[in-house]
Amino acid sequence: MANVSFEHVRKDFGTATVVQDFDLQVSDGELVVLVGGSGCGKSTILRMLAGLESVTSGTVRIGEREVTHLPPRERDVAMVFQDYALYPHLTGRQNISLGLRLRKVPKAEIDRRELWAADILELDPFLDRKPKHMSGGQRQRIAMGRAMVREPAVFLFDEPLSNLDAHLRGQMRHEIARMQRRVGTTALYVTHDQMEAMTLGDRLVVLDGGRIQQVGRPIDVYGAPANKFVAGFIGTPSMNFLDGRLERERDGLVFVCDTLRIPLLGERRPDPTVHSGEAVTLGIRPEDLALAGAAGMGTIPGNLFLAEVLGATTHLYVEVGGRRLIAAVPSGPAPPPGGVVSLSIDHSRLHFFAPDGSSLLHDGHA
Amino acid sequence: MRRAAFYVVLAVAAATFLYPFLWMAATTFKSPAEVGALSLLPDQPTLDNYRLMWARAPFGRALLNSMLVATSVTLSVLVFGSAAAYSLARLRFPGRGILNAVTVAVLLVPAQLTLIPMYTLIVQLGWVDSYAALIVPFAFNATAILILRQFFLQVPRSLIDSARLDGMGELRILFTVFWPLSKAPLAMVGIITFMGAWNEVLWPLLVVRDEQLMTLPQLLTVFSLGGGAGPRQLATKLAAAMVLVVPVVVAYTFLQRYFIESMASTGIKG
Repeated sequence: MANVSFEHVRKDFGTATVVQDFDLQVSDGELVVLVGGSGCGKSTILRMLAGLESVTSGTVRIGEREVTHLPPRERDVAMVFQDYALYPHLTGRQNISLGLRLRKVPKAEIDRRELWAADILELDPFLDRKPKHMSGGQRQRIAMGRAMVREPAVFLFDEPLSNLDAHLRGQMRHEIARMQRRVGTTALYVTHDQMEAMTLGDRLVVLDGGRIQQVGRPIDVYGAPANKFVAGFIGTPSMNFLDGRLERERDGLVFVCDTLRIPLLGERRPDPTVHSGEAVTLGIRPEDLALAGAAGMGTIPGNLFLAEVLGATTHLYVEVGGRRLIAAVPSGPAPPPGGVVSLSIDHSRLHFFAPDGSSLLHDGHA
Repeated sequence: MRRAAFYVVLAVAAATFLYPFLWMAATTFKSPAEVGALSLLPDQPTLDNYRLMWARAPFGRALLNSMLVATSVTLSVLVFGSAAAYSLARLRFPGRGILNAVTVAVLLVPAQLTLIPMYTLIVQLGWVDSYAALIVPFAFNATAILILRQFFLQVPRSLIDSARLDGMGELRILFTVFWPLSKAPLAMVGIITFMGAWNEVLWPLLVVRDEQLMTLPQLLTVFSLGGGAGPRQLATKLAAAMVLVVPVVVAYTFLQRYFIESMASTGIKG
């Protein structure tokens, strides 16, 4: 087990820079999730840590050891891949033990570790099958077992659940979390699925365009996104954004967006350096909007054009002055589509962003 | 009805191909009086033609020579060909594109064109009348590299990554991960190479004069040219031809599953 650190790491592919100025410290035993859209550089970062991709500049350390230019086999890392990467001609058991046999680990020790992994991951029923006779979930467990028995300094997970169906994905997510806590090995986990990111990580690293956008505990990243990209990326459905400006009136600040005027009543205010008349983007999470009983001060009137009932929650798609807002409300009797509705806002949970996307919250969150 | 007609056409076509081969096989067991007949069943089967063949020229030795040469050529084409194919398909290094283009370009040069320069080289090396002259020029093969490269390109990258993390070097990845996954293309390359090396006549005629080093087709050619044209001689030559053909037919029978599988999967026409 070990901590991991990246210092000013950069990666170029030809003339394209895919990762730049990447700095990250991962503590011993921590599970850090790298999350971002396609092409944000998250998998490249993982592959650089594994030694499968060269580092253009910067330093990578595992524990006290600098590993920047070491080949993969000398780094003491184990990786679980999106497509499992099991050797098709070997049984589950042979797949698990191959890495140990290559490292000349004594037979008795291989057996002990195999038993240990089989016990934690419940592999016994399919240990002697070849991968083509296993289900996706079983293959992924074997792949995890193969990583576990190596007892590496660091686990690397490269979108390991992307090929599984929704039900199995949820189940395997719990398995990974349980396994990582039980063995206590430092882990880096790459995903584009923010549900996995939120539920698995001790900390999240949100990436875009090869740069870190925010690092923090999932709940902090969700509650106080550092910029508009993070705000829009983390959370389903995405945060609603309204472009407008701030105006100072007798009763206080008002957010103005065309004909819409939203007085800022709560403690969440933009940075005091923002002047009246300046352009600001207001961010409201769908769950911070609710159906108001009647139109009134601070409510947003609009036309409901679609209601998606998901079970406990209903997503209301409301058109407000040519813009589309989404409200996530508890399911219940809803007005019929096409009707006029009023949305109330939880003023204690508003977000403000400058035109360059940076957060303008001044209550200490950002 | 259409199905029946289809089978009749197939049967006629198969008979057209099979009859000459079966006639040859049957004739080797016929007495000189029967050799001219078109029947497929000898009236009085005899092994005299084989005995005569064996007595008149060192066919046993030639059979061993052919086995040695064809097996060595096949093994080296598989080992060196797959190593080259792996490098060209899966390793990044400067000049890879040029090497790929050169490999394709080699296919465009007819073998006849290189015959004389190659012969001169063998003479210079002092390899005339040696196994090296029969094996080394055929130990590397561009077609094999291209077929295997095409297949190796389809192996998922994560499998190589995983093997590297498991601690394997590139050669070990090639032989313990890629080879077991590539049985079909390896079998196809193996059988094509083996048949090519087994049937080769022209090159051994150029570089080997010592009867003890002659390969089977070479000895057969020499034997046929000097053996006379009577019915007895014809049957004896056919017996020698049978010895040449049978090992390839047997090998193909065992490997045809992979052969057909590979033809289908690589999209390469034979």
